Amino acid sequence: MLRVILIRLAVFVPTLLATSLVLFITVNVVPGSAARAALGIDATPQAIARFEAEQGLDRPLHVQYLDWLWGALRGDFGTSFQNHLPVGRELLARLPVTLELAALAFIIANLIALPFGALAAYHHQRRVDTGMSFLATVMGSVPNFWLATLLILILSLKLRVLPAGGYVALREDPARNLSLMLMPAISLGVVSSALLFRIMRAKMIEVLSSDYIRTALAKGAATGVVLWRHALRNGLITFLTVGAVEFGWLFGGVVIIEDIFLLPGVGQLVLVGIINRDYPVLLASALTVTVVVLTANMLVDLLAALLDPRHVHVRALR
Amino acid sequence: MSIHAAAGPRSPGERLAQIPWKRYRLLVIGGALVGIVVLAAAFADVISPSSPYEIDVTNRLQPPSRTHWLGTDEFGRDVLSRAVHAARISVKVAVVAVSVGLTGGTLIGITAGYFGGVVDLVLMRSMELLFSFPAILLAIVLMAVLGTSVLNAMVAIGIIFIPGFSRLARAATQEVLRQQYIEAAHTIGMSDRRILLGEILPNVITPLLVEAMAAFAYAVLLESSLSFLGLGAQPPEPSWGNMLNTGRGFMDQAPWLGVVPGLAMFIAVLGFNLLGDGLRDFLDPHLRDGA
Repeated sequence: MLRVILIRLAVFVPTLLATSLVLFITVNVVPGSAARAALGIDATPQAIARFEAEQGLDRPLHVQYLDWLWGALRGDFGTSFQNHLPVGRELLARLPVTLELAALAFIIANLIALPFGALAAYHHQRRVDTGMSFLATVMGSVPNFWLATLLILILSLKLRVLPAGGYVALREDPARNLSLMLMPAISLGVVSSALLFRIMRAKMIEVLSSDYIRTALAKGAATGVVLWRHALRNGLITFLTVGAVEFGWLFGGVVIIEDIFLLPGVGQLVLVGIINRDYPVLLASALTVTVVVLTANMLVDLLAALLDPRHVHVRALR
Repeated sequence: MSIHAAAGPRSPGERLAQIPWKRYRLLVIGGALVGIVVLAAAFADVISPSSPYEIDVTNRLQPPSRTHWLGTDEFGRDVLSRAVHAARISVKVAVVAVSVGLTGGTLIGITAGYFGGVVDLVLMRSMELLFSFPAILLAIVLMAVLGTSVLNAMVAIGIIFIPGFSRLARAATQEVLRQQYIEAAHTIGMSDRRILLGEILPNVITPLLVEAMAAFAYAVLLESSLSFLGLGAQPPEPSWGNMLNTGRGFMDQAPWLGVVPGLAMFIAVLGFNLLGDGLRDFLDPHLRDGA
């Protein structure tokens, strides 16, 4: 078990470094672009040179990267071109918003995908399955920002049951926080659930047609026990790893969703960084969203390893 | 498929009539929806009742009526005409982006799969890396660096598709490599280049084309997202994304502005998704339960 965790961690660190390098190079690939972005297109060459010297942008790229990375490791992401405040502190203040949204969206997506995916697999190629699969394709085709718009239109503007946007910290007022988080989480979660449903269904079909399920049923184990204890558990393990990666791929949607619902999260900061052409902010916020996704994937992998009966056996035998 | 073989030579019409269309319902519905979108894009000028740019301040935010079937926007422009014209950008971006992703991904995938070893390791690791970013986030960062334009949106979305296609191409290549005709090609001394392009490529292209349909759906979605954020098509040029974004601000007086562009996106995305699913069933009924 410990070995599994260590291997997973050993893969995690290089991946993090590599993603940070890719983002850093992407943002800095055009020389002078950061300065021109910060100062505007009609900046004089002298002003650009002065700005680059000030910000250390005239140094070789690898020196800049190592410097930035060393700072980032200590939580120092430089200062914003725009308001000259430390970016790290801004990130820290915004992170809880995005994490809460991600957690809620993931829970909603799984609450829909897991039971329906298992049910569709159980009724494989019968009417229930075909209907659900079709419905999943339909739901998966709804753009999440359109769903968000429709939810605001119906629940906020027409029925006036939920606030259209804004944020209150969970600590301050849990009920208000949830009422503000509900629509964003549904927008992200429901659309993602369509993809997760497909994965869950495919995995469960695989498990249900496997030899050990047939053996268990043949030796006369109760159907319910086989389904719940054997099939669902094994389906979940493979589902979790694939599902988390796919969810992460879709998670970039927070950038739009946070913007629509005026949530002061890290995703919104990405947009702020782009609109203000504020490269330190853009770089730090984009990296944070990626790190959140990668960390979640790793945690899910570890959880899957914990659930995996093969590891349990190894531990029990020893 | 054996029905076709047994049927013997017949006219193409008869052969088409023999296909059990009822089993391929997804293909038919998807094809119809995609057909609507593509026709709208191709004949936008003929179909739309008025110009998508014509401003009419006296008729701002008019609800759907006989003159304006889907109402007017905040400048009094006809929403139906704008939605029809917006199909152009979506289709254009989707076609170019998917072509970029398909070409790049296929070349990388078959190269990695064919040569194996270090080449495979380096190429596929870089693909994995690209894949570890959330898709839309990567597109947004690329747009910020490249600058906002429709052309750059095509490039950014195309880059996002490369890892997915390359994985698929690599897996298919490894499958093909085990076939005897590849061994034969090696024996008669064919060059790597000829084997790759002449023997492997034609044999891996089918699953890639099925995947391309799903990619079309995602390309429409990504283009709309970028335009929604103001990073894609720039006003006054209509795109479903920027129509929805500006329409959002007038929703309490004109709810159709929040509904129509989204509905158009939904039709396009659903069409391509169903077409992809349908095509998969049509080409290989066994594939459906696998992936």
